[in-house]
Amino acid sequence: MEQALVVSTMQLLSQILVNGVLLGGLYALMALGLALVWGVLNIVNLAHGALIMLGAYVGYYLFTLLNIDPFLALPLSMAVLFCVGYLLQRGILNLIARAAMFNTLLITFGIDVVLTQLAQIFFSADFRTINPSYAGSNFMVFGVTLPLVRVLAFVVALALTIALWLFLLHTRLGRAIRATAQNLGAARLYGVEPKAIYALTFGLGAALAGGAGDLYGVVSQINPYIGATLTAKSFAIAIIGGLESPLGVVVGGIFLGVVESLTALYIGPTFVDIASFGILVLVLIFRPNGLLGATT
Amino acid sequence: MSEILLNVQGLFVGYGEVPVLRDIHMDIRRGEIVALVGSNGAGKTTLLRALSRVLAGTGKITFDGHDLTHLTPDQGFALGLVQVPEGRQLFDQMTVFENLMMGAFRRRSKGAIHATLESVYALFPTLYERRTQRAGSLSGGEQQMCAIGRGLMATPKLLMVDEMSLGLAPVIIDQLLEVLSTIRKQDVTVLLVEQDVFAALEVADRGYVIETGAVTQSGTALELTESPEVKRAYLGI
Repeated sequence: MEQALVVSTMQLLSQILVNGVLLGGLYALMALGLALVWGVLNIVNLAHGALIMLGAYVGYYLFTLLNIDPFLALPLSMAVLFCVGYLLQRGILNLIARAAMFNTLLITFGIDVVLTQLAQIFFSADFRTINPSYAGSNFMVFGVTLPLVRVLAFVVALALTIALWLFLLHTRLGRAIRATAQNLGAARLYGVEPKAIYALTFGLGAALAGGAGDLYGVVSQINPYIGATLTAKSFAIAIIGGLESPLGVVVGGIFLGVVESLTALYIGPTFVDIASFGILVLVLIFRPNGLLGATT
Repeated sequence: MSEILLNVQGLFVGYGEVPVLRDIHMDIRRGEIVALVGSNGAGKTTLLRALSRVLAGTGKITFDGHDLTHLTPDQGFALGLVQVPEGRQLFDQMTVFENLMMGAFRRRSKGAIHATLESVYALFPTLYERRTQRAGSLSGGEQQMCAIGRGLMATPKLLMVDEMSLGLAPVIIDQLLEVLSTIRKQDVTVLLVEQDVFAALEVADRGYVIETGAVTQSGTALELTESPEVKRAYLGI
């Protein structure tokens, strides 16, 4: 009897951990775009959550109107958001790239408000969800239930993160993005045009938001107002993980996912945000460069 | 005498209302090493900025047959006017290899880039050994090699090296000067901007001495080294 209790407790714990990790992969993808833009352009994009929301609606409408599977719609959602991000950067944000942080906060907050209101007007305030036929499928591994869509979302999120990492490390443009972030003056000296790099970077950040939004629509409900919370979560993950590498963001995302799942079970679902932002505060105090960042 | 690569005529440059450079005349011939020397605040860096088109001025600058006066820094760079900035300005978090590749950012031909990379590694074997290390972790001399190597990756016609010797040990400076005389044989012209007058004149063919915004002396390196004014000004003899 006691043994059975231990087994079921262990099983519950591993189920919670798995849920947390799966959620964390998606969190990481959400935060990745924010961290990229922050690191390169020095803009904390308060409209990042709104871009995730737009990506979710692109996935939703492609699914409901054209019957395109959300996982196949992912590249389309990313492409649409890349264009949105590129144009936002070229039209508005280039005015404030590398400007004082306060200006960037004001402008991106304004963009967030506009996008949210437009979404409410055009998409209505109703809750939506992207619901493919396999949405309810599960499979069991070692007694742990794995929801199919969450596993797929996790895998895709991780693949996109790795793809971004490889892009930044091994391509000419990826190098230019990192060089611009590290030493703008020297990058200019060797023919890098910062405005083009900024627009590309912001476009990439928005594309990642679009991909994350599409996946979010599959595993959760969407409405025009999800942006604010998602921005806050992405911000927390970027801080926890540090801005230096995509790996840090993945660690931050999974860490937050696991903490949230554990909190929801053992303390109570209403305490989830207290736990995640409490950790954010602790990280800021004790490891201001992120969990993996340099300690000095 | 080989053909003139860079010609400056009657250049005046100022920051706002304050004139900094007055009536500068200067020639650099293809394949030469020319030293631009002068003390701190004489206007060397301002002249360099005017040449790389970061600062506008009045007067005429011709480079390789093109009138530079109305070109942007980018267009000057595309013509082969490449700067190795003061203080190296490397991408500290990136590897030596990546820093070198950033020099070739505007070039597209992979084969040609690879060939230049090989020649840079041949000039600086240390850079090859350290190619996977972060540039920020190199010693000062190695960082300067990396900065010069990055400049060479852009296939310059004129390489403008700003304050190369700053903060380096004499033995390292000698090594770097030797490299400059090697690369000049590879059809790269060098403008060496230096506070360390005698180090610069050791390797240069000719030199210009600039003081409070005007060229006060010019001539062959030997003439300048022997010149009583230069000795008085820079050695205090």
